[in-house]
Amino acid sequence: MTLEEAKGYLLRRARELGLQAEVLFQEERELSLRARQGVLEEIKEARQGGIGLRVVAGGKVGYAYTEELSEAALEWALAEARDNALLSGKEGFLPEGRPLGSHDLLGEGLSAPLEAKKEAALALERTLREDPRTRSVLMGGYQEREVRVALASTQGAEGAFRTGLAGMGGSLVMGEGASLKQGWDFRLAKEFHALDPGRTALEIRERTARLLNARPLPTGRYRAYLEPKAMAGLLAVFAQALSGKNALEGKSRLLGKIGEQVASPLVTLVDDPTLERGLLSRPFDAEGTPARRTVVIEKGVFKTFLHNAETARALGQENTGHAHRRYRGTLDVAPSNLYLEPVGNLALTKGVLITEFMGLHAGANPVSLDFSLQALGLWVEEGAARYAVENFAVSGNLLELLQAVEALGDRLEWEVLGAAFGSPVVAVAELSFAGT
Amino acid sequence: MLQPELVEAVLRRALQGGADFAEVYAERSKRRRMTVRSGKLEEAISGLDYGAGIRLFFGTEVVYAYTNDLTQEGLLEALETLLRAKGALGRVDARGAGGLDFRKTLPQGLHTPKVPLSEKDKRFRLERLLEAEAGARISPEIKQVEASLQEWEQEVLIANTEGTWAEEKRVRTRLFVLAVAQEGAEVQTGVAAPGKSVGLELFQLYPPGEVGAKAARQALTNLRAKPAPAGTMPVVVGNGFGGVIFHEALGHLLETTSVAKKASVLADRLGEEVASPAVTYIDDGTLPHAWGSTEVDDEGRPTERTVLIERGILKSYMVDRLGHLLTGYPMTGSGRRQDYTFAPTSRMRNTFIAPGDREVEDLIASVEFGLYAKEMGGGQVKPGSGEYNFAVQEGYLIRKGRIEEPVRGAMLVGKGPETIRKVVAVAKDWENAPGMCGSLSGMVPVEVGQPHVLVSEIVVGGRA
Repeated sequence: MTLEEAKGYLLRRARELGLQAEVLFQEERELSLRARQGVLEEIKEARQGGIGLRVVAGGKVGYAYTEELSEAALEWALAEARDNALLSGKEGFLPEGRPLGSHDLLGEGLSAPLEAKKEAALALERTLREDPRTRSVLMGGYQEREVRVALASTQGAEGAFRTGLAGMGGSLVMGEGASLKQGWDFRLAKEFHALDPGRTALEIRERTARLLNARPLPTGRYRAYLEPKAMAGLLAVFAQALSGKNALEGKSRLLGKIGEQVASPLVTLVDDPTLERGLLSRPFDAEGTPARRTVVIEKGVFKTFLHNAETARALGQENTGHAHRRYRGTLDVAPSNLYLEPVGNLALTKGVLITEFMGLHAGANPVSLDFSLQALGLWVEEGAARYAVENFAVSGNLLELLQAVEALGDRLEWEVLGAAFGSPVVAVAELSFAGT
Repeated sequence: MLQPELVEAVLRRALQGGADFAEVYAERSKRRRMTVRSGKLEEAISGLDYGAGIRLFFGTEVVYAYTNDLTQEGLLEALETLLRAKGALGRVDARGAGGLDFRKTLPQGLHTPKVPLSEKDKRFRLERLLEAEAGARISPEIKQVEASLQEWEQEVLIANTEGTWAEEKRVRTRLFVLAVAQEGAEVQTGVAAPGKSVGLELFQLYPPGEVGAKAARQALTNLRAKPAPAGTMPVVVGNGFGGVIFHEALGHLLETTSVAKKASVLADRLGEEVASPAVTYIDDGTLPHAWGSTEVDDEGRPTERTVLIERGILKSYMVDRLGHLLTGYPMTGSGRRQDYTFAPTSRMRNTFIAPGDREVEDLIASVEFGLYAKEMGGGQVKPGSGEYNFAVQEGYLIRKGRIEEPVRGAMLVGKGPETIRKVVAVAKDWENAPGMCGSLSGMVPVEVGQPHVLVSEIVVGGRA
């Protein structure tokens, strides 16, 4: 069966069985070109798609998905989803749907010829190798992903969109004397032509080389300057506390704090799925709620959790249209393009410029918001970076960190970590550093 | 899943297209996840993953395609796309003319479940999850408990132009309990998550109530813990999941994925002393029912027990097919991938430090002031510089040879090759524990393990 046929089949069968059903298809095309030592060492070209099913039976919700589109597989998915619903103890519902239209957010962005993409991958890798300090290049390459999403339900939802991203990046080891550093970076854009392999490679080299010959950092409390890449990682952890679902499940420290000052007055945090060039913009969410801009924290005051229809109803708040779901998963909440608004009052004085955090999944607790993270960075004095520092960890609590924000840069940079997270350079009054 | 004739047609076409080697990997996986919260089933999902990956080698250049369309037309279309991408279309290889003689390896059933997933209904599972949740309610400070069951039944077929034909059904089951403890504004978590290559006998091996209680005790310990001290100090790392430190600090550096590219600080070091003589480090994909065990790897080769380091001396790397072609080291059955959407790379299976001859009490007693890292969270490494980090999930201070108050938020950081030389004592109490490991070929189930180990100094990140 084709995806279109499978959709029709599932909705018809659901009606016959007296079930409300919502069908989510996703189809992805991936092209990845990995270069090494002047040749393309891995070329990957692939398609993957599947159907996610959410059904309501007896007022309860159950889920299933399938990538096999035979009649037997669809029947299996429907039966499993129904069983899962009947066993469930949780009330659920499908929102009233409406026609959502068909949207193309990608256009001609990825339409460059394959040869041009291959040349870009090779050029990036070549430029990574061209530094005398480069000891080895793990890879340099190009990757693109095109996604088609379609949603339909027995409640009248019907819509589709197409989007995608192109990206270039690489990983290398640089050395000077006995000092070795491994660097990695990846730049994303909505169009192949917006990427610049030479510049990206030079930036990766520069970002890695500046960490060479690092000195140990004495244990102590210092002012911290977080580069956008580092801050994006922290925002990705903080986003879990913004989830209405986590709030409902008692896993958010922000529960009960709406209207309170939770961050420095300099902090304004916004999620905007409608940004015209937004890396992860979307016309509607996974339940068919049209997308709109949401101010989450305004001048330090917590305004709202991010919600889907279910969490909004359970907490008695307004649905912000942040239903998130992959066909292989269940209904969740997630931001799209979440960013910290630039202010432009930043001036480097003295402290540690943190360029990158490592091990975020392990060292930052999304429930308590405590973190203790290995970091890479530079010692800053009299407004300039003096030397690299290494072998240290930074610890604190994300809420305390947001309260201690004293300045923000004027330029937003984006990082995709599940969702897209944007930040300028952020100065934090003081953090705790463990070193030697 | 696929008929030999169909697979042969695809592989022969690949050789005709100029490939030196071709491989088909097909997979059908049933997955189920059930989550209980506040005494009721909150979320249940079942899924069917179904797809195939085709990998071609042109020398050491690899092209890879995957698709959900497992018909002959679907697979051949994916293959043609690949040949076009490579730009080698039309080069006819004489070997394409002959037939392929598949050597079928039959599964021996080394990890076959005692209680297959089909034997019990969902209600049985729900009851066990409710037991786990109830087991965690040991104190009024436990405000939230989440218990989930993950089941996974993966059928794979791997066939290649060398005549390999391997099929395996892999069954894995894992129980995961998260407990949240709260007092005032203070919120802390505890986790317990046993998993094995078994069916529902997991519940006999790990009674759900006890698993829940373990998670809750950890959350309560963290609730009354003070922030960890910051600085460099001796650390006793707990057994079982404590092995994650050497998984990060050492294991990843021994995968040919980075070794072949000289992007590991341990490349070209065979025969050299790279660790303290107290350390013997083994990666064993054959351990019966272990979370990271399979009969064949994802390239269709039988898995092995690979001694990586013997008494400090580097003996072997973990080698997949591409790693073998690039380095000449013999393959070790270490080619692994998350699923059909990834080409395999060299990966760890069940990797552990072998038991030593010391008593745990001796290790603790020899520390004047340091950290006892009893239970670990996850971590990360950069193989090119050896820099690693990992989080302590449950930790205590050691003063004058005694375990004292709990501390939280400790992050251990360092450089792997330096840390592994500072292992000064290894105890007898070897144990393994399950985890998920992310790398180039996706997330794969692995075990990590060790006995208690004393490291003379590590940077402990806590509050300064």
